[in-house]
Amino acid sequence: MTLLSIEDLKVHFPVRAGQFGGRKALVKAVDGVSLTINSNETLAVVGESGCGKSTTGNAVLGLAPSTGGKILFEGRDLSLLNAVERKHVWREMQVVFQDPVAALNPRRTIAQSIAEPLVIHGYAKSKVAARVDELMDLVGLNADQRDRRPGALSGGQRQRVVIARALGLNPKLVICDEPVSALDVSIQSQILNLLMRLQRELGLSYLFIAHDLSVVRHIADRVAVMYLGLVVEEGPTEQVFSQPIHPYTEALLSAIPLPDPALRGKRKRIILEGDLPSPLDPPKGCPFVTRCPIAEARCSSDRPQLVTAAPSHLTRCHVRAPENTE
Amino acid sequence: MTLLSIEDLAVNAGALSLVDGVTLDVDPGEVMALVGESGSGKSLTALSVMGLLGEGLSVDRGCIELDGADLTQMNDEALRTLRGADMAMIFQEPVSSLNPLVPVGAQVAESLIVHGRAKPGEAMAQAIDMLRRVGIPDPARRATQLPTELSGGMCQRVMIAAALISKPRLLIADEPTTALDVTIQAQILDLMSVLTAEVGTAILLITHDMGVVAELADRVCVMYGGRVVEQGPVGDIFANPCHPYTRMLLRTLPRLDEKPKGELFAIPGNVPSPLDWPEGCRFRTRCDRSSNICSTRPPLEGGIHRTACFHPESVPS
Repeated sequence: MTLLSIEDLKVHFPVRAGQFGGRKALVKAVDGVSLTINSNETLAVVGESGCGKSTTGNAVLGLAPSTGGKILFEGRDLSLLNAVERKHVWREMQVVFQDPVAALNPRRTIAQSIAEPLVIHGYAKSKVAARVDELMDLVGLNADQRDRRPGALSGGQRQRVVIARALGLNPKLVICDEPVSALDVSIQSQILNLLMRLQRELGLSYLFIAHDLSVVRHIADRVAVMYLGLVVEEGPTEQVFSQPIHPYTEALLSAIPLPDPALRGKRKRIILEGDLPSPLDPPKGCPFVTRCPIAEARCSSDRPQLVTAAPSHLTRCHVRAPENTE
Repeated sequence: MTLLSIEDLAVNAGALSLVDGVTLDVDPGEVMALVGESGSGKSLTALSVMGLLGEGLSVDRGCIELDGADLTQMNDEALRTLRGADMAMIFQEPVSSLNPLVPVGAQVAESLIVHGRAKPGEAMAQAIDMLRRVGIPDPARRATQLPTELSGGMCQRVMIAAALISKPRLLIADEPTTALDVTIQAQILDLMSVLTAEVGTAILLITHDMGVVAELADRVCVMYGGRVVEQGPVGDIFANPCHPYTRMLLRTLPRLDEKPKGELFAIPGNVPSPLDWPEGCRFRTRCDRSSNICSTRPPLEGGIHRTACFHPESVPS
């Protein structure tokens, strides 16, 4: 069943550009993104900085203003809800951010931080303490850490606190924005295992925003690759990783150094030239045309559509997945 | 002949020990990776070499020799003649490491002028040539621009150009690609290995990314809790890790090139802070092989492949 459905979402920010800020311009951070997440499913959104993956997550949470398109949660259009209804929907959607240090109030105890959403959403006072204990146990925190402050915890423990806080109101969807990027390597897999176990036990859905593709391959059911505000490829994780269609996905996968010195020099690597174009002045046709190794003439004039290139595997490329013009 | 040799280096913050007896060496032209998690002491080791330890931090014991001269005994002035000339450093954050008010060409040319190797006009010509070699398009125009007018990847190229322009014998690279996107990281790693090979510069590469290590390093030094736990040729470290920490670290990485097999292997516990490092082996509280003897400090033993462990996974070859 579809839990979240994003339809042609646009998030455009007006900015002042030019040398003295005199020229008005539009940053199209997200420029027509459609995605769906089913219940108990993990959809990963990947891409490099500036591709719009975090803005997409923020728009779902109401933290970035959507300037076009629709966001439907359990079939209800979020933009049409009144304040009371919206508060109710927000209980079902929670977020885990990248940096647990910034996400926790340093002056509150762990128990206070975890209790806060419960209090805001009118949880019976007598039950809050028991619920906090239950949540701490669920995410693997010791009860004796209740009255500690974030400063006394390690990075991994702090992220467990953030996860406990997100789960207090039994959400259906958790938006995880780079949840392990700020953690030490030896701690990352603890948190990933925790997220996977919680999904099994509580039937959660994740919108998993990440740039580390090794992590994504492990945790996601489906993956969407974004570039300059557009989805360029989307499909089941194993298919996208083993048979990428879009040249950007291919380059992204091949650019990741693998922890195996025996493969050095033996892997085919595509090293892209140049930088991401400025989002103030994106290419007219395909967003990837300025760096694409297989671009053709029409790629710089016509924007390719997202088409089905293989079963449930979509891509946006004139060369690899031409549209049916008939 | 060894280029850089660090013997029993210890760095303290007041009474608190942060680096405790690090021994490693770098040969001319080789890439030595210094690997560890936050708090392992890898960056402090590098900053000690450059003589750039921050306020309140001091080298407590040990010696650091570059070409046989002990850097820990040198005064600031003597170190200044080496920095930028014989040894150079690039940092993680290219944008904050460059002076925002000085055009990038002048920043690249600076070390040539400061060390009296070229007159300003000649230095600028060399700087533009260097910018071209690090892959900056239209280098003459870019040289007049400020760092804010360049992307993060471009700024990192500028830093590399500034570091390599005086052909240093040692380049210390502290997480040089961590702040960059992966397609830009691939460009920068490629560039670093090509340019240093041309000049014969050795690299002390500080990183937490085992992928980058496997890609670039000749030898690896693994640090944990302010100490070296294992050291050896890159092939041996990955194929035959001796220290339980190294073995667990390699097992815990999700692999891009493998189908997931359920739960990831996780190292139990947390990375301890220097305030609660255990007595003896500092990994023993998270280790599955520890015994009573581990409460005494294990010595770093072996030949080219060495480890500091009483119960190694296998004997170093």
